[in-house]
Amino acid sequence: MATSPAREAGVEREGGGQTPSLTADDRRVLLRFMLLMRATEERALTLYRQGKVPGSFYDGRGQEATAVGPAFALGPRDRTCILHRDLGAHLVRGVTPGRVLAQMMGRAGGVTGGKDANMHFADQSVGAVQMVSMLPDMALVACGLALAFQMRDEQRVAMTWFGDGATANGQWHEAMNVAGVRQLPVVFVLENNQWAYSTPNEREFAVDPVERAAGYGFRGLKVDGNDVEAVFAAAAEACERARSGGGPTLIEAETMRMHGHGAHDDMRYVPKEMFEEWEARDPIRRYEERLGAEGVDVEPIRASVKEELDGETEWALAQPMPDPSGATAGVFGESEPELGDGSAPWSRWSAEAHGA
Amino acid sequence: MSSSPIDSGLLEVTMPQMGVSVAEGTIVGWKKQPGDAVEADEPIVEISTDKVETEVPAPGGGRLKEILVETGETVDVGTVLATIEPPAASVAAGEAPSAPAAEAPAAGGEQRPSAGGDGGAPEHGDGRAPPVTPVVRRMAEEHNLDLSQIEGSGRRGRVTKKDVLAYLRERPEAAPEEEPPEEAAPEPALHMESPYREEEPAVEAAAPAPGARELSVMRKRIAEHMVRSLRTAAHCTTIVEADMSRIEAARGRRSYLPFVARATIAALREHPGLNATLEGDMLTVHEEVHLGIAVSLGEQGLIVPVIRNAHELSHEGLATRIKDLAERARSKRLTADEVAGGTFTITNPGAYGAVLATPIINQPQVAILDLEAVVKRPVVLTDADGNDSIAIRPMTYLCMSWDHRALDGALAAQFLSTLKQRIEGWQG
Amino acid sequence: MPELTYLQAISDGLREEMRADESVFCLGEDIGAFGGAFKVTDGFIEEFGADRVWDTPLAENAIIGTAVGAAVEGLRPVCEMQFADFISCGFDQLVNVAAKLHYRQGLSVPMTVRLPSGGGFSGGPFHSQNPEAWFLQAPGLKVVAPSSPDDAKGLIAAAIRDPSPVLFMEHKHLYRRSKGEVTEGRYETPIGEARVARAGEDLTVITYGAMVLTALEATEDLDGASIEVLDLRSLCPYDREAVLESVRKTSKVVLVQEATRSCGVAAEIAALIAEEAFEDLDGPVVRVTTPDVPIPFSPPLERAVLPQVEDVRNACRELLAY
Repeated sequence: MATSPAREAGVEREGGGQTPSLTADDRRVLLRFMLLMRATEERALTLYRQGKVPGSFYDGRGQEATAVGPAFALGPRDRTCILHRDLGAHLVRGVTPGRVLAQMMGRAGGVTGGKDANMHFADQSVGAVQMVSMLPDMALVACGLALAFQMRDEQRVAMTWFGDGATANGQWHEAMNVAGVRQLPVVFVLENNQWAYSTPNEREFAVDPVERAAGYGFRGLKVDGNDVEAVFAAAAEACERARSGGGPTLIEAETMRMHGHGAHDDMRYVPKEMFEEWEARDPIRRYEERLGAEGVDVEPIRASVKEELDGETEWALAQPMPDPSGATAGVFGESEPELGDGSAPWSRWSAEAHGA
Repeated sequence: MSSSPIDSGLLEVTMPQMGVSVAEGTIVGWKKQPGDAVEADEPIVEISTDKVETEVPAPGGGRLKEILVETGETVDVGTVLATIEPPAASVAAGEAPSAPAAEAPAAGGEQRPSAGGDGGAPEHGDGRAPPVTPVVRRMAEEHNLDLSQIEGSGRRGRVTKKDVLAYLRERPEAAPEEEPPEEAAPEPALHMESPYREEEPAVEAAAPAPGARELSVMRKRIAEHMVRSLRTAAHCTTIVEADMSRIEAARGRRSYLPFVARATIAALREHPGLNATLEGDMLTVHEEVHLGIAVSLGEQGLIVPVIRNAHELSHEGLATRIKDLAERARSKRLTADEVAGGTFTITNPGAYGAVLATPIINQPQVAILDLEAVVKRPVVLTDADGNDSIAIRPMTYLCMSWDHRALDGALAAQFLSTLKQRIEGWQG
Repeated sequence: MPELTYLQAISDGLREEMRADESVFCLGEDIGAFGGAFKVTDGFIEEFGADRVWDTPLAENAIIGTAVGAAVEGLRPVCEMQFADFISCGFDQLVNVAAKLHYRQGLSVPMTVRLPSGGGFSGGPFHSQNPEAWFLQAPGLKVVAPSSPDDAKGLIAAAIRDPSPVLFMEHKHLYRRSKGEVTEGRYETPIGEARVARAGEDLTVITYGAMVLTALEATEDLDGASIEVLDLRSLCPYDREAVLESVRKTSKVVLVQEATRSCGVAAEIAALIAEEAFEDLDGPVVRVTTPDVPIPFSPPLERAVLPQVEDVRNACRELLAY
């Protein structure tokens, strides 16, 4: 269905094999972030089912590689607009799971302090700008971030994520067009998770969006979105291109949303065979097997993730609900915007920092 | 107009503070009407708070001048409900309150009907009185002006703000603004009346269906409390059967209630988890037993007076207290603090013959015991040697609803089992 | 002080801010080589270069969306909508992204959007609108609408320096008709403060934008009555105190707006007066507005809907006589 032979044939495998620039430690860290994303979302879903999470619940199960891989390529001074399926990107940049869980529960200690819901958050202290529900919108904001870098002649990158559904919207076109016209240092990660809510790819577009990149005047490539190193490699290359003035890149990471659109969605529209096929390509299991075959013991990583999450959950549950008197505060800006630098756990950045 | 100062000679009847937590009260009904003679301490209005219903006595004698809060309205504690004119003042004001038409006709016999006391503006031309705008109304009050004395330059002779300003500038003996209270004193109080108060909101309401009547204030309160309890607590009901033979033998012609109450208090002391209150996520387990006893007031509803420190009372003391509270509840002489602070409640509809019920918990308590009718039933008895026989015994069902948020079924069953043992093994 | 037109004053204010602060830049359609549809940025591209005077693609969401990104990254973008009417194409970025970002994330979005607005010259339904009220329902956006050149220059500077997104409504009718002395150098007219355009005792006309000129003309000599004209200047936040102070003084109010009638600025101010100054009123609050219709093209039709000097004069006479 969604992975027709024709489209499979179009997949350009970038860095699908060993990625020389990743150290053994980097690989363990990549796995750890994917595990942490899944564990955090599983814990959040448990809290949701316990009635502790108001409103809706969305997660990114099955998309851990497309969230973690591209974010892992970013340097500290790069900036992000992260989508609701990409918790792993927030974690890579330095947001703690406890603040995410508190966010889901509408607690004062959550990233937005209860002002916005579920995965609608971003921490400006790690250089992220918060998504809105209109899913292509942040592609334009990312263009604006990149525009600032370009105007100030800075070697920095703006990275944003969007889904297959967003590519059908006019604002997506405006973003691609502006990025192409100005050759902005922006990396677009298209997470094609096969479903825009319940609508499959063939009802969203007639031409694979990655092929449109050429029409906008920049490079597009397709990677296996369930191969974290492949996504990382594509993103790392795109970031280098952007930093060196080579303009934007559209990376289509093909993956699959393994949960419903939200916790209310039973996915009745997903064919069983399709689900099973993708289940067999689970990005975490695949990477664990790969590292295991290379002699890495993944058990201590799993154990440390569980331990971290237990502590973070305890912290989140201890956070109070927000004071209602704050509901009308903060409508207008009060000071200069301050986007801080994010964590950049890829060894390249620490090496660069030590070298500098 | 509600903030108009009241003449110093009048007595004010205010909404009383019926207990520390009471913030507002509702008028159930007026026993006196404006113009009626009132004696000091005579009940003049019946009120209801979320704790009790009671009557408010007159603060002094005289004539009821004005009712400021109508039946059915809910107002804050301290709000002035009515004013009473002491005998001396009544002489000056005459029969004014109930008879605006008795106002002296204007000099010269010119027909100038009052505009409902609404500033007294005259009618002009088309038979409709010109409107008095908010600012003119306010200025007239501030300066104690009779608008009929001012020439209006607006549409249809309306007195405009400019007219008032000109009048104030030009009037011969314009009193300094600081002194109006002095000037106002001789004015008949009638002038301060607002016509709005004469409107009966109830009259304007849509006609009810034949035979329909609005719930009483007390029934509304009960409805609100019961629905809130069902919405709040995770209600479960556990039932045990108890043999009342021993109590039957001990009670003579007295009620079962004090006996069961005493056994309940003992069982609560043994299982304090039932003698508790749950507010939000905060559970408080109480050492002292403040026992609530539901008292039916017939059609009116029911009320739950509380016996404070019931565990300290002897059997006789307990029985006396229950009797006293029930009597005072029925004659509406309970104070607000006598219906607050319960830790456990017993309800006793069994007196009317019911055998099973699932009562609703009295929030924020965590359990309520329902005492049902005692009926004779054949029961199987087993003697010390293990021989079974059938006997006729006075039996009852002890039905307890409890809050599954605060406790689990095992504790409920343990408590009821202890209660059953104490009832069946009653020692007096 | 030199006498400038409204247009020159906006242009001057913008130019001075760009000279003083490198982070200020302009983006919009045809603002560079052409100097903008109304020539506000005429000559800018020569002085500041194509990067800071960006001729964007024809894409309003792109203009506003990229401005949001640039603003949070430390720049001070000034977007030009070619006509205020075209803001509808950028509505989503404005009300969903720009307006709510500080409330949701605590991240200020210091950007300005210039909106050449208003009718009176046969612009027809898509070049004549006054869409300011749309944005009063989008908490997080500030809206200003100056009428005098001095205020226009001071408010464009204030808008650029404000940490919130500010919509700068510049009425096209005023561009060359509104003239006045303008303070030299950089200065700010505070956002949220009204201005008494003329003091009076008997009645207050509360208005903004081009209607300030209409109101002044209508009440200059009105049967000897003393009429106050209050120029709101800022529509969100607006100057509640100035409104109430004037109402308390005169007790009679005529509200004039060129925008259509329902739920507009005049309606909001009327509600404020009803809530806060009821006991000061000596007559009904009266509105003079465009009726709830699109703006027609043909001159007699357009004149029939837009508030004219005579409409304001009649409304004031009626209320004075009340």
